[in-house]
Formats: sequence, structure tokens, C-alpha cells
Amino acid sequence: MAESTAAPVDDGRPARRGARARRSAGTRGEGQTKALGRRAVALSGFYQGKVETVPKVPVRSLRDFALWYTPGVAEVSRRIQADPELAFDLTGRWNTIAIVTDGSRVLGLGDIGPQAALPVMEGKALLFKWLGGVDAVPLPVSAKTPDEFVRVVESLAPAFGGINLEDIASPKCFGILETLQQRLTIPVWHDDQLGTAAATIAGLLNALTLTHRSVATTRTVLLGAGAANLVTARLLLALGHDPTRLTLVDQHGILDAERDDVDELMLRNPWKYRLALRTNGGGRQGDLAAALVGADVLLAASTPNPNTVRPEHIRAMARDPIVFALANPVPEIWPEVAREAGAAIVATGRSDFPNQVNNSLIFPAVFRGVLDARARAIPDEIVIAAAKELARHAADKGLSPAHILPTMEEVEVFPHLAAAVGDAAVALGIAGRRRTHDEFLERARAIMGRSARLVRALARARLTPAMPSVKSLEGRNEP
Amino acid sequence: MSASSETGASPGGPSETPAIPIHLRPARAADVPALVPLLLRLKRLNEEFDPLLKVREDAESQAKSVLAAQLDDPKSVVLAAEGVGADKDKVVGFVRAVVRERPFYTPEYEGVITDIYLLPLYRRHGVGEYLLKEASNALKAKGAGVVVAEFPAQNEIAIRFYAKRGFRPIQLLHARPL
Repeated sequence: MAESTAAPVDDGRPARRGARARRSAGTRGEGQTKALGRRAVALSGFYQGKVETVPKVPVRSLRDFALWYTPGVAEVSRRIQADPELAFDLTGRWNTIAIVTDGSRVLGLGDIGPQAALPVMEGKALLFKWLGGVDAVPLPVSAKTPDEFVRVVESLAPAFGGINLEDIASPKCFGILETLQQRLTIPVWHDDQLGTAAATIAGLLNALTLTHRSVATTRTVLLGAGAANLVTARLLLALGHDPTRLTLVDQHGILDAERDDVDELMLRNPWKYRLALRTNGGGRQGDLAAALVGADVLLAASTPNPNTVRPEHIRAMARDPIVFALANPVPEIWPEVAREAGAAIVATGRSDFPNQVNNSLIFPAVFRGVLDARARAIPDEIVIAAAKELARHAADKGLSPAHILPTMEEVEVFPHLAAAVGDAAVALGIAGRRRTHDEFLERARAIMGRSARLVRALARARLTPAMPSVKSLEGRNEP
Repeated sequence: MSASSETGASPGGPSETPAIPIHLRPARAADVPALVPLLLRLKRLNEEFDPLLKVREDAESQAKSVLAAQLDDPKSVVLAAEGVGADKDKVVGFVRAVVRERPFYTPEYEGVITDIYLLPLYRRHGVGEYLLKEASNALKAKGAGVVVAEFPAQNEIAIRFYAKRGFRPIQLLHARPL
């Protein structure tokens, strides 16, 4: 299915780049990103949107509309009115999700508002269809407050089998997700929290295995306390990580129960506050350097600057340390610098280095799984099940310091991931459709496979025009 | 005064012994350096609720002199909560209150709790409630017939804390900048 697995559109990673580019990746990366931006603008102007509504039923003549529309459709509506669950059998709701954003934290662009977020949501919808066979509707909404946002999503729910929240600023994203998860009976996911955390956990589990460590005895430092890392911390604790051996570090230094801003956190970010109380046993204080002394693992999801983590920080860690530098497009430390300083395993968010921690490995299959199981929710157990399944597939192929995660090329992983998610929903008793593992697997393969065939068929039939060269487009003198 | 000594039931609930024990005692002059940062933490928390509660530049020296003066004031109550175990001899919280006359109402004296602060790890274990109760007892001993809590109007946490313990609003303070 996915022949082109270059950079996922959803998080601003630069496209696949040659090894040559790595050495001077800082400046070269900027140039590359600029060039990609120019091409994206030109091609967006050419295609004018990345997804469209395509009929799923035959239309032989206008007479068929007596079935697809009135009068025939009235009976379909009556049936659903009598039994709302039938909406998942008699309409496309079973496979349709909304990608909802308020545009408050889009990629690295910040609060650009819902309108400007639309191209990003379109790209995400394309990924959902291409990788997961999921019909995703891009829905940037104007909602000023979290309450307003929640009400908007609640009122949209009847049309959808699931909700994917996207690019919402932290910390309001936590409250929004929690509230929607409580109120809706369809699965709600926030990819910036859950997708990134699940991919991180998957890679980490294998890295721990490779370095003969266990979650329970590892000392872990998380740099950055935003959407992804706060959830990674929560999942680690759920996996049995000792909270006292977990230390979070943000721009103000080590997060600690007695830090000066802790009362402000209690009011503004209770999720971070709760971790401040539970973590950092021994009450270490100070900066990243102080946190990293003797640590086994560094999970950095902070700001794109290759000097955020210094070689001397790595050298102060325990033997064979694990370093995830996940900022995009530029990691907190370049992988070769981290390795030279002694890092045994390094992962980044980029496709041009080994071990790409990529939420696109997670979200298409998670949604495939929960939709096929008609799961009523996505609890952390499901997120962890997805992470473990992803880790298992990398391990099956043989673990090495340069292979702790499947790559986006290993598309056979996706149906397995979906099946693992389906199994977890059944085991948790939240599946509306209890299928066997093999049924989930076959169904996921069929739907994902059809989706990829559809995209190719549209191209072969020239219904999707071949991609023009940017030069030819820019010569056309259009906006 | 020690948390482990039984001191009676709280309104509407069973008697409370803090799960994390603390040792509560009247504050002394030697406590001032430890009390000042706690007092400032509380005032900075209040600042979060309203721009008219913006903490002054000289708040630290103010805190020192206000606390020192209150320790000598027979109308004031300042209790220091010490931790136990590893936190023994460390002041982890405090309560500050003052008895004021009510010239036109009865009861004639009110005990006004101006500050209750606990370090985060000591919260949610009944310690705050214990501080409130001990402060109320001390205020009563000084002649107060009613106990009053003063806190920012937007502080929902405080509103819930006091409401649960039988407090209700009796006077409001409305403000606008001049």
C-alpha cells in the first residue's frame, strides 16, 4: 500500500533526505523545508484540496436516487430513529471520523486559527484514508473557549464514528479530550497527546529490551512537558514505571512539588501539577543537566534546537543511555553527536535517521481498530496495546540500535496493529462488535488495501491528474 | 498542638486525623525566614485570580515585617505546621489569622483567617482541615464568636473548601481600579 512514505504531512517533518544532508542538516534542512513549502503551495493551487467526497454506490440513472434518496431513504431514517445503533450499519458512520481543530497550535506555527489550519487537516485526512482506510472529514472550527469547543464537537458527534482532535494548544487539549471522552460514546483521540506518546512508548520498550533494562527499574527523564510528554509519563506510570524514578524537565527546570510555579500549575495545568507531586523522588532540583545525572533514558519532546541537549549531558547519564530527541524538524541533539557522547540508542522524529518515532505509525491503525470494533472509547489500555504491538513487530524483524521501530515502509504492520486494538477493545468490554483476531486482521487488510487501490485507480484513470512539475505551475502565473 | 492528638469532629464529618502527620504549633520569631516564602507563594497564587491582587515588588520585606509584628500581637494567630520524618523541623505550611472587632454586629469579635497555605505534598490529606480547626479554636480562645475566611473571589478551590466546612458568604468585597 504506502509506496510513498515520505514525511507525514501532519507534523511538519521534512521529506526524506539523503545521508549526505545530515552533516550540515541545520542550514540544509532550512533550505529543504523552504523548497518543499514552495512546492506545496504550487501543488495546493493546482489540486485545490487533497480529499473530496466520492460516491460509494452505483448511480445508473437518476432513478436510483429513489433508493439513495427520497422516497426510499425515509425508511432507512425510520429504522435508525427506532434503533440509533443502526446508523453504524445503514450509513457511512461506521467508517467516518471528524478531524477537529481550533487551530490553536498548528505544527510549529502556533495559534494560526482554524482557517489556516485547514490544509493541515486535509493532509491528515489524506493520511487517514491512505494508511487506515478511514473516511476523515477535516473540520477546523471557530470555538474560542474549551467549553465552546466541547459543545461544538458534541453536536457534531451524530455524524461520526470517531473524533480525532488535532493541533489544540496544551494544556487546554487535556481538559477538552477528557471531557469529550466522558461525554461521547464514540472514541475520541488527540493525536498530539496519544499518537506521539504511543509511538514513543513502542520505541522505548524495544530500546529497554536491547539495553537489558526493565520499565520498573529505569530512571527516565522527560524533557518538555507538553501534550505528548505528559501522556508519555502517564503511560509509563501505567506500565509500572516507578514515579519516583521519573523526572520531568521543562523550560523552568526540573518539575518538582516545591517548585515556585507549582500553585499556578494547580490552577492552569492540573495534569502537569499531578505529575509534579508524584514524580522526581528525592527532590532533585535544577536544570536538565542535574536531572540527567545517572539517568537511563532521556525522552525529549521540546523545542527544535540541536543544542538543547549537550554531549556532556549524555556523558553524565548511566551506561548505554537511551536518547529520544523528538523535536521537529530539528532534534534536541543530532543523533551522531548523541552517539559520540555515548548514547547506545538514539531515536528522532525524522525519517532520514534510523528509529523514527512517528505518530503516523499509530493513528491510522488505531482508528481502523476502534472503528471495526465499534469501540465506545479509547482508554489508555488501548493506547498501550497499540504501542506494544508496534514494538513487537519491530522485535520480530530483529532489534538493533538502528531498528527499534518499524518504518513507514513496513505497511504490513498496520492491519496487525488494528487487530491488536480491536482485540483490546473486545477484552475491555467496550466493543460494540466483538470480532475474532483474524476477523479484525482480515477486515483491516481489506479496507486498508481497498483504500490504496482506490487512490491508484483514480490516478490510472487520470481522475487524479498526474503531479505536475512546480516549474510548469509557477510559469502559469496563478496565485 | 499535634495532629495526632484528637481534637474533635469537623462540622458534618467524622473526626479527622491527617494521614500525613504534621506538627502544628504557634509560630516563633525564628520561623519568619521559613514563613516568608510560604506567605509569598500564597500571595502569588492569589495574583493568579485577579489583577487587583498583583503582588508588590517589596512583598518580601513586607512579609517579613508583617509576620514579625503579628507574632507579637495578642490579637493575632500564626500557626506553623512542621513536617515529620525527613521534613522534621521544616515548616511545610502555616495559617495566619487576626481577631477584629465588629462594632455594630454580634458576635462582637470575628476571627479572620487571612492565609492558609500548605506545600503541595501536604494537601488533600486532611491537613488543611486540621489547620482550619486549630486556627478556629485559637481564635475562639481569643474571644472570636465567628470565624471568617478571606480569599480571592475567583478562587473556586477555596470556595469549595470552606463551603464543605459550613462557611457561607456574608459580605462581598467589590472593587474597581481608580
